[in-house]
Amino acid sequence: MSDRILLVEDDAALGQQVVDALSRAGFEPDWVQDGDDARELEPDDYRLIVLDLMLPGTYGMDLLKRYRRKSEVPVLILSARDDTADKIRGLELGADDYVTKPFFPEELLARIQACLRRPNLSSTERLVVGAIVIDFERREVTASSGALSLTPVELEILSTLARRKGAAVTRDALVDAALDPAQDSSRRTLDVHISRLRNKLGEDAVQLETVWGIGYRLSEGP
Amino acid sequence: MKLRTRLALTLGVAAVSLLIIMGWAQSRWHSRMRVDALAEAAVHRMDSGGRARCEANPEGWPAHRRDREARRPPGPPGHRFPAHRLFAYDASFVSRNPASPAFPTELARQLDAGDDIAASRSEDHRRTEVAVRMPWQEGPCAVVLLRAKGPPRWFSAAVLLPAFVVALVVIVVALFAAGPIVRRVGQLTESVRKLGSDAEEPIEVDGHDEVAELGAAFEHSRQTIQAQLASLRDREAALRNYIANTTHDVMLPLSVLQGHLVSLQQRIEAGEPLDAMAIVPSIEESQYLGSLLHNLNAAARLESTEGLAHRDTIDLNRLVERVVDRHRPIASRRQIALEVAVPERPVEVQGDLTLLEQALSNLVQNAVRYNRAGGHVAVALRGDRSRWALDVIDDGPGIPEEDRGRVLQPSFRGSEARTRHPHGMGLGLHIVSDVAKRHGLTLVLDETENGGLTVTLRPGLDT
Repeated sequence: MSDRILLVEDDAALGQQVVDALSRAGFEPDWVQDGDDARELEPDDYRLIVLDLMLPGTYGMDLLKRYRRKSEVPVLILSARDDTADKIRGLELGADDYVTKPFFPEELLARIQACLRRPNLSSTERLVVGAIVIDFERREVTASSGALSLTPVELEILSTLARRKGAAVTRDALVDAALDPAQDSSRRTLDVHISRLRNKLGEDAVQLETVWGIGYRLSEGP
Repeated sequence: MKLRTRLALTLGVAAVSLLIIMGWAQSRWHSRMRVDALAEAAVHRMDSGGRARCEANPEGWPAHRRDREARRPPGPPGHRFPAHRLFAYDASFVSRNPASPAFPTELARQLDAGDDIAASRSEDHRRTEVAVRMPWQEGPCAVVLLRAKGPPRWFSAAVLLPAFVVALVVIVVALFAAGPIVRRVGQLTESVRKLGSDAEEPIEVDGHDEVAELGAAFEHSRQTIQAQLASLRDREAALRNYIANTTHDVMLPLSVLQGHLVSLQQRIEAGEPLDAMAIVPSIEESQYLGSLLHNLNAAARLESTEGLAHRDTIDLNRLVERVVDRHRPIASRRQIALEVAVPERPVEVQGDLTLLEQALSNLVQNAVRYNRAGGHVAVALRGDRSRWALDVIDDGPGIPEEDRGRVLQPSFRGSEARTRHPHGMGLGLHIVSDVAKRHGLTLVLDETENGGLTVTLRPGLDT
């Protein structure tokens, strides 16, 4: 699918900044300044739509309803108002997320990435994270060094991290998933299991990062 | 027409009408009395020798001498008959005396009908004629005709003049009597007119009548209007105060931002080598400005309501990610590691989206803002829908234990919420505390292991 992103924003300065930021991030932005022009477009031609709620001519909500009737494409709302009712209404009408002005371009890009990432959460049979491949059916893990022999606890920890690849997972969540949450010693035991897991991963251990204050993360690697 | 004039004229017209009616009735009564008196005079004159003289000399009696005796014959003591002239006729209304006038046919008809006394009043001729049939019914003097002047016209000066005099008196009296009422109404009018310029002065009208009631009604309305005015004035003052404070609060970071930008420009003009970090303070200041405005908005909302204006189902996972993404640009420029973790399943809470987001944003902003380069900030949402906790952990300077209670005092003060805290006390912690309380959340400030601040939000009011 293309990386075309539709930006519906009436403000010239803000629109140009967003277009620049999207271009720099590797997207193909398509900028429409007028709500009436935006009505004529096909939402499915885009991977994501960034929609300002305060558009002249057409109230942004109407545009959102129109797009939602036609398509499932992710819609991100730009809201100038600190108005709870507006945001809630936007989300209820099918917007995927919103960004309140003022915002940094990075913040908008982060929200766009999050919107695009969301649908592909579930792949239950097999997961690939960098060099690490987990086969859930066979309960087998392979890394750069070949097949690994993991204990059930280690496999559970690695699977939990792999399912949320790239995201930090709290120690509590890992304890809940792999150990006995009722035991006080479980939290300390977790470090021991991680340490062993790292040893077994060998050169791929860099993918298993410690996240300060939170727990661990399995990343795609350097 | 003025009240006083209207009142006087109304009374005057009423008096004139009443007097004219009375005058008319009185004239009718008078003329009736006159007929009776004349009939009595006829009988009296005939009885007191008149008959004998008449029958003795029917051609010459009565001799109409111009003497007082004939014109005003004496009546019984203390009684005087009206002035009249008398003529005698026989039973068929024929007089032997050539000086007598022809007997009026109208009176003859009445007597023929059987009446003993007949009368006719002619207002045109202003003359009363009375015919009396004498008891003897024979001879040349069996019927007597009396003529007298009058009656006066009922609308004559005799009736109308007193009526107009009385009416005049009534009008004058009414004009004077209406004085106090008119004065009080005037006083009331003046008071009500003053309302426009000075609502402070009370409306006072003495007495217990309708004018006083009207005054009391006006006074009640005045008090209501004054109370509403006072409330409007208070709100206007509060708004003006809010705008003034906000302007001041915004001007400060704006001045700092302008200073940064000018300094950058001067350094570039001077040919100084600049790295990307040189612009970080400007970016931080601009973010602070945005955050300040959001906090002022939140403070205004908290001040305007007691509980929560909105209560929607909120996906905390998304909210946490969104807030962290907002602070990433500053964190990365300041070389602070900002990490986030949310559970696999979304945690949902009921609450005000904007307030909760602003509260968390304040916590993350404080953690980033008061940290040093190379520091860490972690935002972790743990647990599930029924038992969750949100930690904002940093390894910055922290808050001394003795100060922690103070920053979480339940009493919320807008002025403190908008103050910059130079000692690392944190921007908008009061807002966080108030938002937590309104959502039934516990806010705990603790020291992070190895130094720093850990703020935890969790459901339930007490730990």
